Amino acid sequence: MKGFERLNPLSAALYYLCVLGLSMFSMNPLMLVISLFCAVLTCIADGTVKARGHLFALILFIVAAVLNPLIVHKGATVLFYLNDRPFTMEAAVYGVTAAVMLTAALYWLRSLSRVFTADKVMYLFGRISPKLALLISMTLRYVGLFKYRFRRIRDAQRALGLYDDGNLIDAVRGNARVLSILITWTLENGIVTAESMEGRGYGSGRRTSYAPYRLHGTDAVFMLLTALLTAIAVAGTAHSSAVFYPELNFDLLNPWGIAGTAAFSLLSLLPLILNAKEAIRWRILSSKV
Amino acid sequence: MAYLELEGLSFTYPEAAQSALTDISLQIERGELVALLGATGSGKSTLLRLLKPELRQNGTIQGEVMLDGRSVDSLSSRESAGIGYVAQNPDEQLVTDKVWHELAFTLENLGAPREQIARRIAETSAFFDIDSLYSRDTATLSGGQKQLINLAAVMTADPELLLLDEPTAQLDPIAATRFIETVCRLNRELGLTVIVSEHRTEELFSLCDRVIVLEHGAVIYNGKPREIAERISSDSPYLSFLPAAARLFRLTGGRGEAPLSIREGQRYVSALKSRTTAAFDAPKPAQAEPALELKNVYFRYERNGSDILFDLSMSVNSGEVFALLGSNGAGKSTAAAVAAGLRKPLSGSVKLFGKRLKDYHDGSLYRGNLSLLPQDVESLFLCDTVREELKGCEEVLKDFPYDLSRLYDRHPYDLSGGERQLVALCKVLSTRPRVLLMDEPSKGLDGGMKRMLIELIKEFKAKGMTVVLISHDVEFAAMCADRCALFAQGGIAAVDTAERFFSDNRFYTTAASRMTRLIAHGAYTVERAARILGGDG
Repeated sequence: MKGFERLNPLSAALYYLCVLGLSMFSMNPLMLVISLFCAVLTCIADGTVKARGHLFALILFIVAAVLNPLIVHKGATVLFYLNDRPFTMEAAVYGVTAAVMLTAALYWLRSLSRVFTADKVMYLFGRISPKLALLISMTLRYVGLFKYRFRRIRDAQRALGLYDDGNLIDAVRGNARVLSILITWTLENGIVTAESMEGRGYGSGRRTSYAPYRLHGTDAVFMLLTALLTAIAVAGTAHSSAVFYPELNFDLLNPWGIAGTAAFSLLSLLPLILNAKEAIRWRILSSKV
Repeated sequence: MAYLELEGLSFTYPEAAQSALTDISLQIERGELVALLGATGSGKSTLLRLLKPELRQNGTIQGEVMLDGRSVDSLSSRESAGIGYVAQNPDEQLVTDKVWHELAFTLENLGAPREQIARRIAETSAFFDIDSLYSRDTATLSGGQKQLINLAAVMTADPELLLLDEPTAQLDPIAATRFIETVCRLNRELGLTVIVSEHRTEELFSLCDRVIVLEHGAVIYNGKPREIAERISSDSPYLSFLPAAARLFRLTGGRGEAPLSIREGQRYVSALKSRTTAAFDAPKPAQAEPALELKNVYFRYERNGSDILFDLSMSVNSGEVFALLGSNGAGKSTAAAVAAGLRKPLSGSVKLFGKRLKDYHDGSLYRGNLSLLPQDVESLFLCDTVREELKGCEEVLKDFPYDLSRLYDRHPYDLSGGERQLVALCKVLSTRPRVLLMDEPSKGLDGGMKRMLIELIKEFKAKGMTVVLISHDVEFAAMCADRCALFAQGGIAAVDTAERFFSDNRFYTTAASRMTRLIAHGAYTVERAARILGGDG
């Protein structure tokens, strides 16, 4: 596990919330390009996205970029006419910006789904409600158990010559039979689980919720930094403007705008920085040996 | 005053004519390891459940259970969580999806602070040597591992009394031994008081401090293991509760103190060496045509997964009882599913009576040719009563040596494990198979039921049926198989006649064979050993 992934899930959740929020709600082309660049880099660095994933993202990018000027005909600068419809520069720029946003969000979400394992999601729910966390955990166990048992029952019935999926009606009938057995079996066995829970003190009073994660000093620093950078970036976005129609009119490089973009760049690079720091320390430590 | 005292304890289930437990008085000292034995339905579970308030079933209780000078009825539910309880089924007792969560569950319920939970989990997993399982999904564990987690989870609450209800019934012998050894360590190293009910007594008998035998809800034996071994005679129905060494001792007319462990048994056997009669004639391998043939079969569940079956080849002769032995999770059940045509091999061929399985069209394979008794017989039951369940099995029931009619009005789930097995067997036989595959048929059965099943299998054979047993139960296979195969690494590591298989194996063999291997060849069951040593077995 690397530095970023080792953070408390709460820190990671806050981080993705900020980065994704800023990437999706600001139409600041400069920030979006930085966002996309950092997201792609993050995904490549920890091997989340393979060649096929990149190809998919590229196709998505092209489709999104081309679609807007084909559909939207607003804008003052007409580049050419297609089927008697104007193809404008403004619509094209807007399309590319939107495509950058979409692709950046895609990459951030991929990174998120890699970092947030089921355990971490559980932990977050557990912070909200310990009962909900237990319910999810039990449900997850049952999903696997059901699948396994469904297969066992289907096999047993098939070997009795009672399950046949040769045609639709037989398949429906066969599966209904399997499902019926599955439910009886599970309900009967549920008593044992209930007893096991009760025998281990379930319902004996207030519960606590345990999770193998702690909030460290690093998490506090990380969360503060994330919040601070996000605040600056939001302020920067508020003070800069990007108007696409009828004419392109960008005011991005005023002092606030520059500060906001810089803060956002740093924010987007945080996972990479955390992981790189660890890699460098690893090098130093191992070279000393 | 003893640590645990039962005074005139009786229990009657609602609407039952007879009481399940009658007038039981026992004193158990702190730190004792007590083995509770008895046939299915003798009241072992009922007794254990009465000791823990939440697990008591509906019914009338008379008498008193005192724990450390207090009535257990007066325990609050938090205090009662300090009585640990582990039951038979490893799967159903797990509550959550992750091992760490399972270990934390008990203390979470008791409202323990985070630090204490972390510390107790760390301690417990070190003691149980399950550290490596910490972040695994509970579903991916083997039965033995699951049962260890169940025990560890109960132990996190730091109980002083541990109640175990047939905890090893579903485990393979190696996992069962490991479990019993862990229980012993808890008893020896932590001074825990343990009461464990069991059918499998091979290790437990010599390790425990006291043996209590129940019959029809009453205590008939209560004493030190050696005393009990002395009091059970060779014609007693409780002979099967004794470990192999003591059984052999009784059957060969031994007097005085009976040997309990394999080591003691070996000493006893070598003293009898002079009495040894001639060895067994090796049975002539009958020339029979193959009934079921697997050739170079490979199989895996996932495209990128590892091979579950790796170059598996075996040939089962028609009319024989063939046992496929191996530990749990080795892939035996998968082998059975492939042999039964339920899974298609990745490569290789499966033939039944010389014809490829896929050439049996329109389900003709499962009509009159091949049948499978699954491991979980519950997967066969669809109806609310046994009568409905057995509809269409009239033919089978006519020749069936056991009368099932007394079970007709009961729900299949209300039957004991053995009775369920018999009903399932009838269902499976209703298709009149020539080859019957049985997946772990002896799992969870008591001695009497196992003998019944062995008789049935012998009868199937006499009728010309081919039986393939897929089992981890070495002792069971030794009692009825003609040929045995050892399944390992996805293939067959060894296949031989039962006699040579058990006599030549050093580790994977029966208790009787371990005791007698130095002086006699082929004495791989206690009965055969007794015969060779001049007893009346």
